[in-house]
Amino acid sequence: MINLILFAILGLALFGSFIFVALQGSLKSLPDSSAVRAVTSIINLEGSSFANARRLLDDTDYQVLCSNPDLRRLAERHRNDRRQLALTWISLLQGDLITLWRFRRFLIQQGVPSSVKEELGTLQALVLSLVLLNLIRLSIRTVGPFALPRATRQAGQLVDSMSKGAALVLGRIPAAGWAEIERSWVKSAA
Amino acid sequence: MVTSVVISVAAVALEVGSLALLLRRSLWRVYTLLFIYVLWLLIGNSTLFFSFLYFPAVYSNLYWQSDTIDVILRFLVVWEVFRQTFPKSSRLNRSLSKGLGIIAFGLLLFACATFWSYQNYTAFRSIHLALDRSFGFVQALMILGTLVTARYYGVRCGRNIRGIALAFGAWVSISTATNAMADLDSSFLSYWYYLRPLSFVVMIGVWIWALWVYDPNPPIKESESVELRQWTEDWNRAISTARTIMRP
Repeated sequence: MINLILFAILGLALFGSFIFVALQGSLKSLPDSSAVRAVTSIINLEGSSFANARRLLDDTDYQVLCSNPDLRRLAERHRNDRRQLALTWISLLQGDLITLWRFRRFLIQQGVPSSVKEELGTLQALVLSLVLLNLIRLSIRTVGPFALPRATRQAGQLVDSMSKGAALVLGRIPAAGWAEIERSWVKSAA
Repeated sequence: MVTSVVISVAAVALEVGSLALLLRRSLWRVYTLLFIYVLWLLIGNSTLFFSFLYFPAVYSNLYWQSDTIDVILRFLVVWEVFRQTFPKSSRLNRSLSKGLGIIAFGLLLFACATFWSYQNYTAFRSIHLALDRSFGFVQALMILGTLVTARYYGVRCGRNIRGIALAFGAWVSISTATNAMADLDSSFLSYWYYLRPLSFVVMIGVWIWALWVYDPNPPIKESESVELRQWTEDWNRAISTARTIMRP
């Protein structure tokens, strides 16, 4: 009796698991690591190459300065400097995103296969990322660079995922053709 | 009666369809084990259908006997999914096959044990239901295990294998549950007569969708030995750093 109840429950649980796996969809294909390296060498990504975002958005120095009433003005200046740096970094990230999108468009133009679904997905990701970066920019302008450190730090990941998308497309052509792609890209960018 | 005939006709028609898809573009050469199973389904279900119409006296006996053969042949689908997901030539197969083989053997022992313990049930209903349930449960676990392992290692499944595995797994697990319910309460038997064949028809329908285009599993991307060596060095460094932090 208990066996039967267990089988009924486990059978239903397994059925649920299969439905769950089916709803999750198949794994997205990851780009080849050499293609990722090639993309970063072909395109100069200024914003995402900045590695000290954590330090830039860390408010420890500001808090230390604020704790001393004599250093309040210095703390304000420090905060403004950080704000300017963070805004510059966000601008660079936005530039990186647009460059990556242009590079992807260039690859498709060169005859690399892609589907409309994929292209629309990329366009959607670009628009959403730009909107998010603008919101972060607005928050830095209004409440300062230390208010949303985590969200701001993660802004760099938007460029990373876009870069992987471009690498995925680049990986569809043989590595021997990448040098030619780089030459054509430099020529078209000039 | 009419519903049963409609379901049986639909099942045979869909089996013909999936067989045709496997024969088209010589897909049967790639999915040989699946082809054998579908061929069995077509022969078995056609025979059952004709006996249902013309020899109703032998139908019941024939049904349960063919179901027993079916329980064994279903392992062909399990093996097909595994060998397509982790091809013999891949390093993953070499690394995992031994461990997964032991687990599969353990699961088979479990199926035999649960089937054996069937004799201890208070209400004797059908030995075939118990066989179907015990092995069906294990087959569903094997398919789910293969899919989960593939996902864990980032192995991508094409539409063909993904569709076949998910539909088969879902059907076998729903069959396990409904079998148990039918044995638990005889009033459920009337539902079971329709639920099982209906879910089977849905499975064959999904198989047709999965085989409509040739989309095999993409080859597994394997790292160069240099990359693996680099990873091992990084890993060892990380572990020793963690140990230093834990025991300063």
